[in-house]
Amino acid sequence: MRDVAVLGVGMYPFGTYYDGSNAEMARVAGMAALKDAGLSFADVQSAYVGHIFAQVMSGTRVMKEFGLTGIPVQRIENASATGSACFREACMAVAGGHADVVMVLGFDKMTTMIQNSAASTSPENMEDAILPAAFFALWATRRMHERGMKPEHLARIGAKNFNNGALNPMSQRQPKEPVTWEKVLGSRMVAWPLTTMMSCPIGDGAACAIVGRADLAKKLRPDRPVVRVTASTLSSEKYVPGHLFMGPVVGPAQMTRDAAKVVYEQAGVGPEDLDLVQVHDAFAIEELEYYELLGLCKEGEAEKCIEQGDFELGGRVAVSTDGGLIARGHPGGPTGLAQIWETTLQLRGEAGKRQLDDPRVGLCHMMGGGSVCVIHILQRD
Amino acid sequence: MSESARPRVPIKPGYFTVPEDPNQAPTFLCTRCEDCGEHFFPRRAICAKCLSERTTEVECAGRGTLYSYTFVHIPLFGSTNIEHVEGYGVGQVDLPEGPRLQVPLAGKQGDFRIGQSLRAELDKLRDDDAGREVVIVRFRPVEAGR
Repeated sequence: MRDVAVLGVGMYPFGTYYDGSNAEMARVAGMAALKDAGLSFADVQSAYVGHIFAQVMSGTRVMKEFGLTGIPVQRIENASATGSACFREACMAVAGGHADVVMVLGFDKMTTMIQNSAASTSPENMEDAILPAAFFALWATRRMHERGMKPEHLARIGAKNFNNGALNPMSQRQPKEPVTWEKVLGSRMVAWPLTTMMSCPIGDGAACAIVGRADLAKKLRPDRPVVRVTASTLSSEKYVPGHLFMGPVVGPAQMTRDAAKVVYEQAGVGPEDLDLVQVHDAFAIEELEYYELLGLCKEGEAEKCIEQGDFELGGRVAVSTDGGLIARGHPGGPTGLAQIWETTLQLRGEAGKRQLDDPRVGLCHMMGGGSVCVIHILQRD
Repeated sequence: MSESARPRVPIKPGYFTVPEDPNQAPTFLCTRCEDCGEHFFPRRAICAKCLSERTTEVECAGRGTLYSYTFVHIPLFGSTNIEHVEGYGVGQVDLPEGPRLQVPLAGKQGDFRIGQSLRAELDKLRDDDAGREVVIVRFRPVEAGR
């Protein structure tokens, strides 16, 4: 397999843009990524485009914003993991020798989706009685029962991610002053014990990554370190006793543990080598569980590690450094690519106010409803 | 419990029974694998565990054990113009045969605890155009309250 690198990244700030268009957000993010890579659209040989909510054909149509060059354009949808799944396909295309430079573009307007469908829930669909927040609240109740977790631990994750988001210009939630865990705990209850500030917002946005041959990265931008993609995996559910078939957002927690094992083997690193991690923190309880499932701490020790500040910026291993889904936002298609954007900038030392001290290895984890688990490891030379 | 004798229909066919007697608990339409014995809800043609095509349709009684629960502070189905605006419980319930169901719970916040026994019941959601009661299924703690 050929070495794969992230040549460039770009974003359109996540937020709520009731009058905005997917085409404009995508063009801004895409052009930013091309410029960052030192490339023009004429250099792009293939494109993977991801959106969940936009209409059929949107991906191919939006790609015309960059010019009509006849390249292959392929839309991929994998729920929340859409952007991550697109990124993986681009890496496969480069690794397999099918293309040297591939554009990965994700965009979505979740605000429009909500408006159009009156929250898309229907009494005719039995599963719709149960919201995603309720599903993950069931994880939280179980965790409190088994491990003595307290809502305060989830509030601490929420506060951390809000405060990280404040340092990220692309973040949807931009608190003006430091957010305390008490404030997160006291915000409006959605599904006990999950409050609004422990949950990701509805939003819009776009993100883009240019993936290509690693030797090109050095040639195009000799001024900065090469960020390589050293592992990629995507898995669907494996049957377990007590498997839920109706209503769950994602499959058994074990999916993340299994997928992590695959990427650690591929990259030849372990969880102890990670400097920063992005996870599918649509709800704070997820981030807590993923600490253990990714091996960032021992089983049963997540609560203790949260109290110690292990996952804060400057902690043992920083998690959701850009604010995560909870603060940076989760429009859908672009979310996984926002993780790549953040990890790439951090590894290059270009993450501004939230820059970590000399990070070398980053992991990006996404879950997609249905469900799939996608994990990538990025490493700086 | 329904106080009327009007005909009742499930919100969607193929998931649970609606007994004539309103005092009788609904049953769940499940599948049993003839090769490995695993039970599934809802019904499926191929065993998810051993991939056998030798599956049989069975009914599982409407009782189980609470695996986890929450209380949602948003109206049922995310709407504002139907019943249950005060919020509702949601639980994962293990049937004795094995399947885990994710369903609404009947009762108030504070009524639920992990491991408690529950019984399925039908709950009227609305009337349809033919004057029938459209019902959903939910579970209620056998001994209500703590």
